[in-house]
Amino acid sequence: MAIRAVEVRKVYGAKGAQVEALRGISIEVAEGERVALLGKSGSGKSTLLNLLGGLDRPSSGQLSVGGRDLDQLSMREMARFRSTTVGMIFQSFNLIASRTAVENVELPMVFAGRSRRDRLAAARQALEAVGLGARLNHRSHEMSGGESQRVAVARALVNRPRVVLADEPTGNLDSHTARHVMDLILDHVREHAATLVLVTHDEELAATCTDRVVRLVDGQIIDGV
Amino acid sequence: MQWIDLLRLPLAALAQQKMRTCLTTLGVVFGAFVLAASLSINEGVQQTIERESSKGNIARKVTVSPRWRGNDNKTKDDVKVAGRMSPDRRERIRKILAERSRQGGSGQEHIALTRDRLDTLSRIPHVAQMVPIVGGAVVATLGNRPEEASVSSGAGEDPGFCKRIVAGRAFDSEDERSILLSEMFAHRIGLVDDVDLDQVIGKPLRVEIRRQVNGPSFNVSLVDRAKAGGGKDEDSALRQLAWQIPGALDRLSLTDEEIAALRKAIRQESTQSDPALVVDDFRVIGVFRELTDDEKKEAWSQFPAHTDLVLPRQTAVDLALRDPVWREDGIVQTVLFVDDMRNVKEVVDKVEALGLGTRSIVEMIERERLTYLLIFGGMTCVAGIALLVSALGIANTMLMSVLERRREIGIMKAVGATNWHLQAFFVIEGALIGLTGGSLGLLLAWSVSFPGDAWVHSMVHKDMKIYLSGSIFAFPNWIAATVLLFTVGATILAALYPARRAAMVDPVSALRHD
Ligand SMILES: Nc1ncnc2c1ncn2[C@@H]1O[C@H](COP(=O)(O)OP(=O)(O)OP(=O)(O)O)[C@@H](O)[C@H]1O
Ligand SMILES: [Mg+2]
Repeated sequence: MAIRAVEVRKVYGAKGAQVEALRGISIEVAEGERVALLGKSGSGKSTLLNLLGGLDRPSSGQLSVGGRDLDQLSMREMARFRSTTVGMIFQSFNLIASRTAVENVELPMVFAGRSRRDRLAAARQALEAVGLGARLNHRSHEMSGGESQRVAVARALVNRPRVVLADEPTGNLDSHTARHVMDLILDHVREHAATLVLVTHDEELAATCTDRVVRLVDGQIIDGV
Repeated sequence: MQWIDLLRLPLAALAQQKMRTCLTTLGVVFGAFVLAASLSINEGVQQTIERESSKGNIARKVTVSPRWRGNDNKTKDDVKVAGRMSPDRRERIRKILAERSRQGGSGQEHIALTRDRLDTLSRIPHVAQMVPIVGGAVVATLGNRPEEASVSSGAGEDPGFCKRIVAGRAFDSEDERSILLSEMFAHRIGLVDDVDLDQVIGKPLRVEIRRQVNGPSFNVSLVDRAKAGGGKDEDSALRQLAWQIPGALDRLSLTDEEIAALRKAIRQESTQSDPALVVDDFRVIGVFRELTDDEKKEAWSQFPAHTDLVLPRQTAVDLALRDPVWREDGIVQTVLFVDDMRNVKEVVDKVEALGLGTRSIVEMIERERLTYLLIFGGMTCVAGIALLVSALGIANTMLMSVLERRREIGIMKAVGATNWHLQAFFVIEGALIGLTGGSLGLLLAWSVSFPGDAWVHSMVHKDMKIYLSGSIFAFPNWIAATVLLFTVGATILAALYPARRAAMVDPVSALRHD
């Protein structure tokens, strides 16, 4: 699915203490393209990713994913968009600590309205695919960082999203594990011709895993449009 | 999202915090328990009253008695207060004097139960039956043995009375000229053997109504002696002796002249000072026994108790009203049986309008209603407060849990939960607590009702000598529905604000790394 942003701005905070996280971002990502977002800390990478994932709405500008204007979506449609169209992966895994691996992976399918039987089978399959067939009923505090992130990847990909948004997915992992997790994501992208936006600090990772590198400085794109 | 998952997720969240869930539920359990108990007692007491009062005719019964009616014509303006005094003082004195003169008999009218008034009463609409009650002390003479005795009328309307006949039969009609003896009276006058009881049937018995029943006046000193020192037994033995002396003069060692003189003296004394106002003869048709202990437990059917003789209703009234004093003063009491419980109030109003006094179970219940309305109101208040407190507790814990679960809520939103979903989760959590707490409270009230009921039964029996049938707790379905409605309603209300807060969680800030 193609992504298109036109003059997107995002301002945080109330009047007087405002932070302009994004200052007029315009970018186009073609369907099936893999893009890396690079930039210093605080440059607005996560902010842009959250807007693309429908977790937040821009202060101004236009955003469309797969030809659909995100501005036009109702709250309900936005929730549906988050559960089925995009898959998001975070640096800090963001698993629900009190739930098992299967239950975490099951969650997007719950909101997508799939039956429990279906969900359990799909979740098990997704966990087996990331090599966690033996960890189905473990909770996140019973798993290593690499395992947790693989559960998160399984959760992000279980609904077969056409857009994958990864915010430093390997930031907390050693290089070997990082490679394994990245391969899982890239396999999915290739298999389903999905679009990938990967936020990273790692120049090498960006070069090897993506087709194009976009650089952000202070909420503006300076390179790679 | 499927409906079953709207239940599954809140249940999982509640199971996650078992201790917290238990404690919040406990508050609801208490509130529901008090509410259920209060509603149940209120309903049960009403049902019990209805059940008890519909036993026999008790609820349809209105007891009418004579009454003094104040004469209102005499106002305080008629009372003149002489003397020089301040207007205030004059007014105070005049007021008291006016009140005194109103109460002092002269201004009052006695509304007696005379024959005319009895007729009027029996013609009041909805009065199905009128049973006049007369009774009192008479002198009964069986053979040549006069004896003081108490006489009552009736028992014809009580089907249980037939069971108490130990010899002969009960009355066939209200106005036959027959009389029944009590077993104890028979024993007192010397009918001790079983055959004596059978032989007394068919014998004539004379009943005399006298003004004073002091016996022949020559035994005054004997009576005085008895009053001074002797007991009850000695007193009645002396009286008996006095009664028998006139008949036994022949057998004493006295000369004929002495006997003649004494006879003359006694006849003169007794006819002068102690005339029989009404004398009549009846035929003994049966002997009845006193109530057994078991029968006494049947609280409403204790009449006639402790009476020596029983006359048929109408016969007794006719006998009593032959006495000029009775004729004027009327009888003591009459009982009206109303055709239906619902018409009792109307009949009572009509009777009171005649100036007579009334007593009925329906009125008594009306008076008691206030008492238990207060109790019921108090308990409902306690239940309301308990529910309010537990609702506040639920609101508080849920608000805390929203703060604790911010990240979880953010994650759910990120993977596709709408605000509505999150709101629903928390409201359903609240409803589940309400439902469980309400059901447990109901269950508790129901199980406590058994020992509670036993306790109330024993209390009522001890204090009022009444054996209640059935439970004073009632649990019709509507009570369960009401209790659940209130508990679930309260907990849902409590959950609304935390649920709104959960829906308002911003996923971006909730998910930002720690
Ligand atoms: N909720 C918020 N309220 C106020 N300011 C915010 C908020 N979220 C982000 N910012 C600000 O917006 C700017 C961009 O933040 P963002 O998280 O997008 O940076 P980033 O490029 O992802 O940095 P990092 O590499 O450290 O994750 C920062 O200056 C940050 O302080
Ligand atoms: Mg970031």
